[in-house]
Amino acid sequence: MAELRCTTVAKSYGARDVLHEVDLVVPEGTLTAILGASGSGKTTLLRLIIGFIAPDRGTIAIDGSVVSAADGLHVPPDKREVGYVAQEGALFPHLTVAENVAFGLPRGERKSGSRTAEALDLVGLGSSYASRRPHELSGGEQRRVGLARALAPKPRVVLLDEPFSGLDASLRAETRDAVTSALAAEGATAVLVTHDQAEALSMGREVAVLRAGRLAQTATPTILYRAPVDLDVARFVGDAIVLPGTAAGGVVDCALGRLRTANVAAAGKIEVMIRPEQIRLGAVDGVSADVIGHRYYGPDTVLQLRLRDDARSPIAARTFDVTVPDAGDVVSVGVLGPVAVFPDPAA
Amino acid sequence: MTRQRGGASTGLFAVCALVAILAVLPIAIIVIQAFQGGTSAIRDAVSASSSRTLLRNTVLVSLVATPICGVIGVGGAWFVERTRLPGRRLWALLLVAPLTVPLFVTSYAWATLGVALQGFVGAAGIIAFTYYPIVFLLVAVSLRGLDPALEDSARSLGLNPRQVFFRVILPQLRPALLGGLLLVALDALVEFDAFVALRFQTFSLDVYAQYRLGFSTSGAAALSFFSIVLCLVLLFGEARLRGDANYTRVSRGARRPPVRYELGRWKWPVLASLAAVVAIGVGIPVGMLIRWFAGSSSAALSTATGNLQFLWPASRTTILLGVSSALVALLMALPVALLAVRHRGRFARLAERSTYLSFALPDLVGAIALSYAAVHYARFLYGSFALIVFAEALLFLPFAVVAMRATVGQIEPALEDSARALGVGPLATFRRVTLPVARPGVVAAIVLVFAFSLGDLATAQVLLPLNLYTLGTEFQANSSTVAFASAAPFAAVLIVLSMAAAYVLMSGFGTVRAFTDDERG
Repeated sequence: MAELRCTTVAKSYGARDVLHEVDLVVPEGTLTAILGASGSGKTTLLRLIIGFIAPDRGTIAIDGSVVSAADGLHVPPDKREVGYVAQEGALFPHLTVAENVAFGLPRGERKSGSRTAEALDLVGLGSSYASRRPHELSGGEQRRVGLARALAPKPRVVLLDEPFSGLDASLRAETRDAVTSALAAEGATAVLVTHDQAEALSMGREVAVLRAGRLAQTATPTILYRAPVDLDVARFVGDAIVLPGTAAGGVVDCALGRLRTANVAAAGKIEVMIRPEQIRLGAVDGVSADVIGHRYYGPDTVLQLRLRDDARSPIAARTFDVTVPDAGDVVSVGVLGPVAVFPDPAA
Repeated sequence: MTRQRGGASTGLFAVCALVAILAVLPIAIIVIQAFQGGTSAIRDAVSASSSRTLLRNTVLVSLVATPICGVIGVGGAWFVERTRLPGRRLWALLLVAPLTVPLFVTSYAWATLGVALQGFVGAAGIIAFTYYPIVFLLVAVSLRGLDPALEDSARSLGLNPRQVFFRVILPQLRPALLGGLLLVALDALVEFDAFVALRFQTFSLDVYAQYRLGFSTSGAAALSFFSIVLCLVLLFGEARLRGDANYTRVSRGARRPPVRYELGRWKWPVLASLAAVVAIGVGIPVGMLIRWFAGSSSAALSTATGNLQFLWPASRTTILLGVSSALVALLMALPVALLAVRHRGRFARLAERSTYLSFALPDLVGAIALSYAAVHYARFLYGSFALIVFAEALLFLPFAVVAMRATVGQIEPALEDSARALGVGPLATFRRVTLPVARPGVVAAIVLVFAFSLGDLATAQVLLPLNLYTLGTEFQANSSTVAFASAAPFAAVLIVLSMAAAYVLMSGFGTVRAFTDDERG
């Protein structure tokens, strides 16, 4: 597999700018998740990489060789060796599973069937599936066959367009594992497009957040989650508690007390962003809060708390404790780990 | 989302432009011819009192036959698609069969059945019971595309099955039903073959008379100009009626087959009604054919035996003509269907509409126009086999486009995208993905054009090369004699061919899903 590099790629449809100056590097053998809301331009970026459309500006290179450039160089999709897994699999309804998987192979290999079996094996489907028809498969199996079909010709890059949409939770997890292990086994360079935060964070070596046609941040999942570039990204990748505060020398003061921040340069009036799971209940030196309600999710529970010192809005706290306080209880809360700070927009 | 395709679509646009020009050609010729005769010729033709009678006859047949087709077509489609009717597949085949039986055969069968059926009753009846399958097919396909969740929701809102049918299902069937009724009305307006034996005077017959008697092309053109205007009014009237009400699926809907209703105490009345429809549509031509054989004198049968030597050459020409026309029509229809489904826009609409103009063209008039064009502009084509093949392909092009459009619309662009990403080129993608997935439509288009060419006597009479004869022309030549028995072998082969066509058409029909205009991707 090979490195994928998009340099200042831009695309507009008429007067509507869909992508602005997108720079994206997917290192060889890694998966980058592109996370964006609908309409953010993620499908357009995908179609540019495959070659269904051409960029207005910028270049796209695979393995160091340019496949799309604004000067008119445009390698057609069938010559790019870019695998593509469409939403819901897009299996050819007139072909069997094996014929689908063998579709992109040279004629000789199509006949021998060894690569077909290998590709099916990669995604955890046995030979018993070979003669089935797409409509006889479950949704998850269809996605797996779609991936096997894309991987069979050994593409240089694999693109996955919302590959788990429409699957129920358990099937989603199972399919995600199968896809992850298949991609790893092939050492695939992959781009996954999704609007699902958990999916992007759990699958990507890096996650690129696409917002209104611009890449807001490209980072490893932990950095993206713990140190987002702005509050929008912070809220987009997960739940966030935002409180006003003042910072000085790596310490911030806010309604939850004095907290640590990795941002030693921050000073003066700022906004503090805390993830709900950073809130610790029963802290020895914490601040007092009233429990006003809770929502039970099984492994975790999200409590609605109102701080005694700052009663403006309730904050959420996620706890994995087996027993949780009831509404009406008073708890002492503290904060685990460093928090993220952002400039106060009012300042 | 907006799609951009490079060179491929430029080529597609060019091919479609060519097809559109060819499709408009006959009508352009007629308009030119009509005006060459001077406006007085048109005025004379229009103001003649005989014209008024012809107009009244033509419109009346249309007015009476079309609603009957609507009722039989919608009812038949509903019972076959949405109820637990016993023997549904067989009923579907039998209900479609009348469409493929050549009308001139049916017409002679009705005429010999009794004097009462000659004239208006027979004319309206024969149109109704031959053309209702058009409504049946379109409505049946449309019924399959309905989202069952809509019916479930209506039931949960307190509607009973009957109310669901009238308030939820029927409104959604409107585009298919209107489209079907339009085709029936147009066919009734331009019908020629059906009325020959029934001695019923309509425009088409008069056009033929004018053409035959004086080779008066301008008179014929003037008369047919009139009928074409009538057709165009209908064609655009339907477009207005349908307007923007393209009932497309808002959501992808529940992906499960719709519920079939139990017929209960209605089972026998429904079966009896369907049997009656089939008895009229298929029973009469087949029954009369048997009677022609059985009831003939030995003298008549000996003429029939003498005719047998012509049977094979006639069959061969007929089949060759049908297959060639079907393939040419397919080649013309495929790009238009692709364009109409994939590229919305003024040009795509224009190209598609222009192919529908043939609906407004009486077979005979189209044939006369093309023969005129060949004589004057392309002498080498005149009297050639190629010209009649082209004429038939052009005349039945609309059916091929409609049939193709249904299945081409079902091909999700993601399928072709996937193929391209797998390293398969545009042409190979077309061959390995687009064409196989569209196969039911391709088969339907071929079979329909083939079947219609079997029954197209008018074109053959004008354009068939002099040294050739078809089953139709032989049937015609022999049926004008007293002994129908000598025409019977030709009719028998025609009916066998048409039944085979109906069978192929309906065997692929089960795999056709919905014809929806929804844009995917």
